[in-house]
Amino acid sequence: MSEVQVLKPQKTWSHLAARRRKPSEYDIVSTNLHYNNRDANAPYELAPELFMNQWYKQNTFGTALKHADWNAFRDPDEVIYRTYNLMQDGQETYVFGLFDQFNQREHDKSLDARWAGTLARLYTPARYLFHTLQMASAYVGQVSPASTITNCHYFQMADSLRWLSHTAYRTKELSLTFTDKGLGQDERHYWEQDSAWQGFRELMEKVLTVWDWGEAIIVLNMIAKPAVDEAVLRRLGEAARHNGDVLLGLLTDAQLMDVARHRRWLAAFTKMALETEGNKELIQSWIEKWQPLADKAIDAYCSALPDVPNAAEAAKTATRELGF
Amino acid sequence: MALLNRMEWYNLARTTNWTPTYVTEDELFPPSLSGDFDLPLTAWEVYDEPYKQTYPEYVKVQREKDAGAYSVKAALERSRIFENADPGWKSVMKAHYGAIARGEYAAASAEARMMRFSKAPGMRNMSTLGCMDEIRHGQMQLYFPHEHVSKDRQMDWAFKAYDTNEWAMIAARHFFDDIMMTRDAISVSIMLTFSFETGFTNMQFLGLAADAAEAGDHTFANLISSIQTDESRHAQIGGPALKILIANGKKAEAQKRVDIALWGAWKLFSVLTGPIMDYYTPLEHRKQSFKEFMEEWIVAQFERALTDMGLDLPWYWDIFLQELNDTHHGMHLGSYFWRPTVWWNPAAGVTPEERAWLEEKYPGWNETWGECWDVFIDNVVDGNMEKTYPETLPYVCNMCQLPILGVPGKKWNVKDYPLDYNGRLYHFGSEVDRWCFQQDPERYAGHMSIVDRFLAGMIQPMNLEGALKYMNIAPGECGDDAHNYAWAETYRALRETRKAANA
Ligand SMILES: [Fe+2]
Ligand SMILES: [Fe+2]
Repeated sequence: MSEVQVLKPQKTWSHLAARRRKPSEYDIVSTNLHYNNRDANAPYELAPELFMNQWYKQNTFGTALKHADWNAFRDPDEVIYRTYNLMQDGQETYVFGLFDQFNQREHDKSLDARWAGTLARLYTPARYLFHTLQMASAYVGQVSPASTITNCHYFQMADSLRWLSHTAYRTKELSLTFTDKGLGQDERHYWEQDSAWQGFRELMEKVLTVWDWGEAIIVLNMIAKPAVDEAVLRRLGEAARHNGDVLLGLLTDAQLMDVARHRRWLAAFTKMALETEGNKELIQSWIEKWQPLADKAIDAYCSALPDVPNAAEAAKTATRELGF
Repeated sequence: MALLNRMEWYNLARTTNWTPTYVTEDELFPPSLSGDFDLPLTAWEVYDEPYKQTYPEYVKVQREKDAGAYSVKAALERSRIFENADPGWKSVMKAHYGAIARGEYAAASAEARMMRFSKAPGMRNMSTLGCMDEIRHGQMQLYFPHEHVSKDRQMDWAFKAYDTNEWAMIAARHFFDDIMMTRDAISVSIMLTFSFETGFTNMQFLGLAADAAEAGDHTFANLISSIQTDESRHAQIGGPALKILIANGKKAEAQKRVDIALWGAWKLFSVLTGPIMDYYTPLEHRKQSFKEFMEEWIVAQFERALTDMGLDLPWYWDIFLQELNDTHHGMHLGSYFWRPTVWWNPAAGVTPEERAWLEEKYPGWNETWGECWDVFIDNVVDGNMEKTYPETLPYVCNMCQLPILGVPGKKWNVKDYPLDYNGRLYHFGSEVDRWCFQQDPERYAGHMSIVDRFLAGMIQPMNLEGALKYMNIAPGECGDDAHNYAWAETYRALRETRKAANA
C-alpha cells in the first residue's frame, strides 16, 4: 500500500470540501445527514424485504416527485437547533409576557360573553387541529429524502406544539372567567361534531393518511397548512380584534411569524422541485385533487366567524398566492 | 397570580385524541407503524409521562444548555487540548463521534415515528421534544468534531462513518436500524428509550464524561454530559407504555422487545465502549473499568428499572454477566489486529502497568488475553510487523455483525452457534444472538453480513486491499497503533535486561 496516495486533512467534511464556499454552521450540521440512501435495495441495514424497508423504498425513494439531488435543498433561514431555541425562547418570552400583562389588566373580564362562546366553539378546539399539523409534519419529516427538508418539518412540528400549547393555556385561563361555556371540556365535542370544524377534520384526517412523501409534502404544506394558517390564525385574529379581544389578535400575529418562516422554506422547496421536468404538472394535479377539500374546510370555518366579511374568500385567495 | 401554573394547563395540552370518522382508526394509526398490540386509542389515554415539560420550558432550558456547552467550547478553542491530548484519547473521540453523531440524528426520526404514530397523546408530545433533542445531539456532535477536521483526516469520519460499509458501522447500523429505525412507535419506545437510553446512553455519556474530565478534555466532558440531561428526560418515554402493555396482558411481547434490544446494545458496547474505557483512555485517567461501569449502570440500575416495571430479567442474564468479563477484551484484540479497517488509531493499552491494572480488574487476564498479546508483542519487538496485520476478515455473527470470538488460553472456547433457516446456514457468536434472530427471522434473514458479501464475491479483490476499498477507508484514514508502538520499547528493554541476566 506504500505507493498509494495518503489522504490529507481538508478544511471541512469531505462531502462539502469540493465547494469553494466556506461552509456555514448550518451546512456543517444539517446537510446529507440521512444514511438511508446508501443502498437502494435496503434503506436500513436489515432484510431488504422488511416492511419498513419497503415503506421507504416505496414512499420516500419511489415517489413520483423526483429530483436528482434533494440533498441540495437549503433552508433559506438556515435554522439549526441552537438558533431555533434562541429564536423561540425569545418569542415565548414575548407571548407569555402578553399573557401576564393582559391577565393583570383583567382582559378576559372585559370580553363579551357572546364572544367567549365563540371562542369556546371556534378557538379553543383548535388545539386538535394544531395537533394534526404536529403529527403530519412529524410524518413528512421522517420520510423526507434530505435532512435539510426533514429539519424544516421537525421545527414546524415543534411550532405546532407551540400553537397547541398557547391554545391550551388560553383555554384554561378563559375557563376561569367564563365558567359556563364548556371551556376545557367541550373542545373534543366541537372538533368532532360542530359543522365549523368538520371540513378541517376531514381534510386533516385524510392528509394524515397520505403516505407517499411527494404527495404528502405538497398537500400538507401547499394546501392543508396554508388553509389553517389563513383561516384559523389570520381570520380568527381579525375576528378577535373586532370583538375587543386584542390578546388573541396579538397571539395569532405572533404565531404567524412562524408561518412566515415556514413559507420561506416552502418557496425554496417548490422552486427546487420545479427544476425537474414533469413536477409542475404533478404538483398541479395534487393541488387540483386536494384544493376542494381545503376550500370546503375554509368555507365551513370562516362562515361561522363573526365580523369578518369575506373571510372565506380572503383565506382562499391567500392560499392560492402560494402557488407557482 | 398573573401567569398560570404549568400544571393548570398541561393536561389540556396532552388531551388530543379524537375519534376519526373520515378514515378508520387503523388507517390513521396503521398497526404496523403504531404497534400491533390490538389496543384501542382509549387504552393509551392513561399514558402518563413521569418527566413533564412544556414547550416554553423546553425552549428556555435548551437555550440555556446550549449556551453552556457552546461557550465552554469557544473558551477552550485555542487551548490546544486536542493537539496535546494523548493519542489514545483522540481515538476515543474519533470512535465516539463516528459511531454516534449521525445515529443520534437518525434517532430524531425514531422519535418522530412515536410522535406521529403513538396512540398515547402524552407520548406524542414528549416525543416531539425528544425529536428536537436528537437533532441537537446530532448537530452538536458534528459541530464539535468539525473543529478538528483540518488537523486530522480521521476526524472526517465523525460525518462519514454512517455512509460506509466499514465493518463496525455495519454492526452499528444493524443494531440502531433494528431497534429504532424500522420499528413501530411502541416498540421504539420500549427498545430505544427504555432498553437502550435508560442504561446504555447513560453509561456512554456519563462514563465517558468522567474519563474526559479526568483527561482534561472539558469541552467533550461538558458536551456529552449536557446531552445526557436530555437523554434522561426522553429515556422515560418508554416506561409508561410498558405499564400499559403489561396492564393489558402484553407482558410477553414487551419482555421480548426488551431482551432483544438489551442484548444488541451489549454487543455494540462491547466493541465500541469496552476498548475505549479499558484500553484507549490513558491509564491515569480511567475512572472505573468498563466492567465496573457496566455493573453500576446496567446491572444495578437497569435491573432495578426492569423489576420496578414488573418485567423479568432477560433469560440470558447469567450469560450476560459472564460476558462482562470477556467479550470486550476479544473485541479489542480483534479491532486492534484489524486496525487498518477502523477510522481511529487503537491504543494497544498493554504496557506492564496497564496489564497489571487489567489483571486487577479482570483476574486471569494475563493467562488468557495476555497470552495473545505476548505473541503480538514478540512480533513487534522482533520487527515482524507483517505478522501483526491481518490478511483477511474474521468470521462475523449474522445477528450482531461482530466477530465471533472465544476466550483464548487454557480454556479456549470459541464456538459457533449455527442455524439453518430456509436453506441458508447462519452463524452466530452466541446462543443469545441466535435466539434474537429466531424471534423474528424475516427481519434479519435477507441481510448479508460482511463475510457473506465477501463470500458472494461482492468484495474485490478478495483480500485486505479489496476489503478496505469496500469499506471506503483509505490510507490517511486507516487506523494504526495510536502510539506508533512506542510502548513496545519497554518490552524491548525488558528483553535486553533478561538477555543480559541470562548471559
Ligand atoms: Fe441522543
Ligand atoms: Fe436519545
